[in-house]
Amino acid sequence: MAFVLTHLVPGDPAVANLGDQASADPVAVRIYREHYGLDKPLPVQYVVYLRNLLHGDLGESEQSQRPVLTDLEEYIPATAELAITSMVLASLLGITLGVIAALKRNRLTDQIIRVVSLGGMSTPQFWLALVALYIFFFKLGWVPGSGRLDAIVLPPPHLTGLFTIDALAAGQFDVFVNAVQHLILPACVLAAFNMGLFTRFTRSAVLEVLENDYVRTARAKGLPELTVVFRHILRAASPPILTVVGLAFGNVMTGTVLVENIFSWPGIGQYSYRSATSLDLPAIVGVMLFVAIVYILVNMVVDILYGVIDPRVQVA
Amino acid sequence: MIAVTAYSNPLSSTWRRIPGAWRQPLAVVGFGIAAAWVLIALLAPWISPYDPLAQSSALYQAPSAAHLMGTDELGRDVLSRVLWGARVSIPLAMLLVALAFTIGGTLGGLAGYLGGWVDELVMRSADFVFAVPTILLAMAVVAALGPGLFHAVLAVVLVSWPGHARVVRGLVRTTMQSEYVAVGRLLGSPTHRALTVDVLPNIAGPVIVLAALEIGNAILLLSALSFLGLGARPPAAEWGSMVSTGAEHFEAWWMGDFPGLAIVSVVLAFNLLGDSLRDAFDPKAMIKARGA
Repeated sequence: MAFVLTHLVPGDPAVANLGDQASADPVAVRIYREHYGLDKPLPVQYVVYLRNLLHGDLGESEQSQRPVLTDLEEYIPATAELAITSMVLASLLGITLGVIAALKRNRLTDQIIRVVSLGGMSTPQFWLALVALYIFFFKLGWVPGSGRLDAIVLPPPHLTGLFTIDALAAGQFDVFVNAVQHLILPACVLAAFNMGLFTRFTRSAVLEVLENDYVRTARAKGLPELTVVFRHILRAASPPILTVVGLAFGNVMTGTVLVENIFSWPGIGQYSYRSATSLDLPAIVGVMLFVAIVYILVNMVVDILYGVIDPRVQVA
Repeated sequence: MIAVTAYSNPLSSTWRRIPGAWRQPLAVVGFGIAAAWVLIALLAPWISPYDPLAQSSALYQAPSAAHLMGTDELGRDVLSRVLWGARVSIPLAMLLVALAFTIGGTLGGLAGYLGGWVDELVMRSADFVFAVPTILLAMAVVAALGPGLFHAVLAVVLVSWPGHARVVRGLVRTTMQSEYVAVGRLLGSPTHRALTVDVLPNIAGPVIVLAALEIGNAILLLSALSFLGLGARPPAAEWGSMVSTGAEHFEAWWMGDFPGLAIVSVVLAFNLLGDSLRDAFDPKAMIKARGA
C-alpha cells in the first residue's frame, strides 16, 4: 500500500534527482528512468518490487545509489540508540509523574503536573531542540553540539552499532562518556512529548484502579504506601499504560525526523527527510516498511506482555 | 408511551457535564488563551504595529520599545509577524480538523453502524496510517505534490482522519447498543434518523474533546512541516518557518523564540481545554475510544 500511495502522487523523481540542467536533457531522463525501471507501467513496477522484496531486496536508493537495505543498516543503529534512550527516559518520568498526579488528584501537585505534561505535548520538538542547543551548547557549553561523537573520537569497534554499548563492550570508557554526552540532549528533547503523553495516560489508568476494593483493603491492612503503589495499583493499571508506550513508538519516529535534522544525528529520521525531499521512492518505501515492521513487532511484544502481567489474558 | 419515556435519549447528560469543566481553573486559563489567540487572528491587521512583510534597514534589532520582539534578518518586525502568524496557523488548523473529522467521522460512523466489510475496510486503512509515523507520510505526500501550505494541509488531513474514525466508530458502536436506540428503531425510525437524532448528539461530548486536542496537534504538525521547508514558504509570516529562519541566526534568539513560544501557548491552551473537558466527561470512554 505504501508503494502505491507514494507512486500515485504526481511528482517526477527524475526531475527531483537529476537537477534542473540534466532534466532538460531528454536522453539523461530516459537513461535514468530505465535504470530504475520507472519506464515500465506501475503494476509491473509493483510486481518487480514485491518479487525483490521476497528476496530481501528493497531496491536501490536513487540518491545514494546504494541498496536501500545497506542504507538502512547504516542508519538504523543511530536512531535505535536515540529512540530507545528517549523511550526509557519518557517512560520512567511519565509513569512516575502520572502516579503522583493521580494520588494527588485535583490538588495543586496534580495541576502543576498537568501543566508540565501538557507542556511537553504542546512544545514543537524542532523549537525545543533549538532552545536546548542554544542554552546547553551555545551558552553553557555543557554538552557537545551535534553528531554522535566528537570529530576526533573514533567510533568503537562495531558490535551492535549502538555506540554506548559498543564502547562499554570494548572497554573504551572515554568513548562511552563522549557518546553519552552527545546522546543526552537529543534524547531528552525527543522524550518530552511522550513523557507528557505517558503522564496523562498513567494518571487516568491509576485513577480507575484507585477506586477498587483491593486497593482499599491493601491500605487498610496497613501496607506501606510504596508497596500498595507498586504491587497493587501499578500492576493493575499497567495494561493501558503499556498500550500507549507501544503506540508511542510512532511519535518517536516523527520526533526523530525533526531532532535528527537539528542535531545532525546520522539516523533514519535524517535519511527519510533527505529521501522525501528528493523523491527517492525506493528509500521512502523502504523506511516506511521498516518502521511499520517495528511498529507491529513492538505491539506484538505489548500483547505478549499483557499475558505476563495478567494471566487471565490468553495470547492467541 | 409511558414505557418509552423511561428509555428516553439521555442527551442532556452530555451537556450537563460541560459546566463541570469550568470548576477546573486550568480549563478557564486554556479557554482564555485560546480565545485571545482567536481574537488576535481576527484583529491582526489592526493591532500589529508594522506591516509583517515590510522590510527596513533595522536588521537584527534586539527587542526594544520600538520593536517589542526585535527585528529579523530583513528588518521585519517580529511581533507583527507573530501576530499575523495566528491568521495562518489557527484558521488552517480549524479547517483541517473540520475536514479530518468530516472524513474520519463519516467513515467511522458508517463502519460502526454497518459493520461487516465496510468496517474491515475502513479500520484496516486506518491501521495502515497509524503504522506509518505521521510526519513520514506527510513528508512523502508534500514532497510529491510539491511544497506549499495547501499541500501540507492535505497531507495532515490524510494522516489525521483515522484518529477521528476510530473514536466515532467506537462511540457509535457503544451507543447503538443502548436501549433508547433500540426503542427508537422499534418505533420505526429509519437509519438516518437513528444516526442523526439518537446517536450523533450523544457522542458530541467526546468528539468536542477530541477536536480541541486535535487542533493542538494539527498546529504542531503543520508548523513542523513548515519548519522542514515543506509547508509555508518565506516570506509568509508562518510560525514554523520563522523558527526555521531563526535557527540560521543563532545569536538573534528573538527571531525563533517568540514564534516558538506562540506555538507553545496556542497548542497548550487547546490541550488544557481538551484535557479538562475530557476529565469532565467519562474518562474511561475516551481512553478506550481514542487509542493513541
